[in-house]
Amino acid sequence: MEDSTNTLLEVNHLSFRYESELVLDDINMNINHGDFVGLVGPNGSGKSTLVRILLGLHKQYRGEVRWFGTPARHFHQWPKIGYVSQKANRFNAGFPVTVYEVVAMGLYGKKGLLRFLNRKDKQRIHEALEQVDMLGYKKKNMGRLSGGQQQRVFIARALVSDPEVLILDEPTVGVDAASAQSFYERLSYWNREKGITLILVTHDVGAMTKYVTKVACLNQQLHFHGTTREFEESDLAGTYGHDVHIIHHEHDHHAGGA
Amino acid sequence: MVFLEFDFLRYALIIGLMLGVVAPAAGVFVVVRKTPMIADAMSHTALTGIAFHLWLASFWVWLSEWNPLYTGILFTFIVSFIIEYLRRRFKTFQELSIPVVMASAIGLGVVFISLADGFNNDLFNFLFGSILTVNVTDTMVIGIISAVSLLLFLLFYKELLFLAFDEEQADANGIPVQRVNLLFAGIVAVVVASSISILGVLLVSALITLPAAAALRVASNFKSMFLYAIVFGEAAVLAGFFVSYYYDLSSGGTIAVISFAIWTIVVLAEKVAGRIRQRPWEAAKWTDKANQ
Repeated sequence: MEDSTNTLLEVNHLSFRYESELVLDDINMNINHGDFVGLVGPNGSGKSTLVRILLGLHKQYRGEVRWFGTPARHFHQWPKIGYVSQKANRFNAGFPVTVYEVVAMGLYGKKGLLRFLNRKDKQRIHEALEQVDMLGYKKKNMGRLSGGQQQRVFIARALVSDPEVLILDEPTVGVDAASAQSFYERLSYWNREKGITLILVTHDVGAMTKYVTKVACLNQQLHFHGTTREFEESDLAGTYGHDVHIIHHEHDHHAGGA
Repeated sequence: MVFLEFDFLRYALIIGLMLGVVAPAAGVFVVVRKTPMIADAMSHTALTGIAFHLWLASFWVWLSEWNPLYTGILFTFIVSFIIEYLRRRFKTFQELSIPVVMASAIGLGVVFISLADGFNNDLFNFLFGSILTVNVTDTMVIGIISAVSLLLFLLFYKELLFLAFDEEQADANGIPVQRVNLLFAGIVAVVVASSISILGVLLVSALITLPAAAALRVASNFKSMFLYAIVFGEAAVLAGFFVSYYYDLSSGGTIAVISFAIWTIVVLAEKVAGRIRQRPWEAAKWTDKANQ
């Protein structure tokens, strides 16, 4: 927090109500460039709501969200934030669209209105497909791929605009353990080698803790556990109860931790 | 060709060929967005506008100089924004916005019809379409509408595709979802209302949805879906015109029936092709037999 230039995402006193129900209660969180954050919580804990607020899809919230120092309500560089939705593969399987066309969509926001893709963009689409080992499938119909393959295409779509941060909502649902592990390894590689900041939202605490550098537990309130080691030593039950006060650790700055 | 000796037939054919491009193109988005009923809702709204015009014309005679279709186009354009507003306002039951608007529009339309002279020949032509009533002004108006709509489809192709495929993701990527949706609703409204000229209120959705529905079966990518839809649409319009002329049938009805025939052929052909692909050994037997 001392080093504000390194802060990528800042959430202060964020609360969200859906009708009369309090979904998110006074969330505080800081994510720095290069973090690999695991955001865990049981079903119905408000994970997806939090993600939607971070992405600017919900605007009726209390508190503050800042991306790169700019309040989310005034933030316009959304292509800097890649997003792979939990619902991405619920598209209409009969939609006649190729893998290439789906990945190209990832550039549309960045290009802006009335601009068309040029050769450099097409090159970029190829690179993104290569990054997920799906280049060979670029002319294939999206609906004909397996769930795992579709998911890789959606990740390529998120990567194609060269985002600084990638938010993945439940990316390993329906993926077998071995594939999930190689998927986490790849994420970890992108995080270390390419410096992409990652926010991984999942209800599956197991495998992911090996790869992430920070863990945050959400259940209406956010219990930020700092490093993975501290998370493992702590009592997970805190996430599922209500009487635990917020622990706010900074990964790199132990001096200020509490 | 005897067919083209009559001015009105020439105009009707030109209008038909223009609509054969732009109606199926709009249909592609309508179909992949899974809102095929929008075409019917819009065309019935146009009927309300037409009836309103006929009613006004019953005491402001100067209005009868104008084609009531233009009032219909204006009505539909305005109502398309109401539908979009309702879709946004009632997010959990978005699909209801269409029947709500359609039922109210028909109700209002029928009230206007009873206020005007009741059911007359004009109205009958608008319901089922007529190629006998179009003139050079209509051709120009519909030409401009078609050209502008097609241009807007090309200019906003990438946004419209993204929205149709995954609206939430498009929103997250900073695409101006609401404005693009409004633009799309406006284009569909004027395209549908223009198509009434030759197809009629009840048959418009045939040229909007059937060619696109057939294209959906054969297209391997989104761009090719457009091409197929337009080819099927043009084929239906051309064949429909000649068949209806030589056999003295309703042009709108014939175009709709031929659109359905194209769709049926495509679905059957797909079935056969799928079977051949699934059982290559049987396909081999088939070709052997064919060679004998």
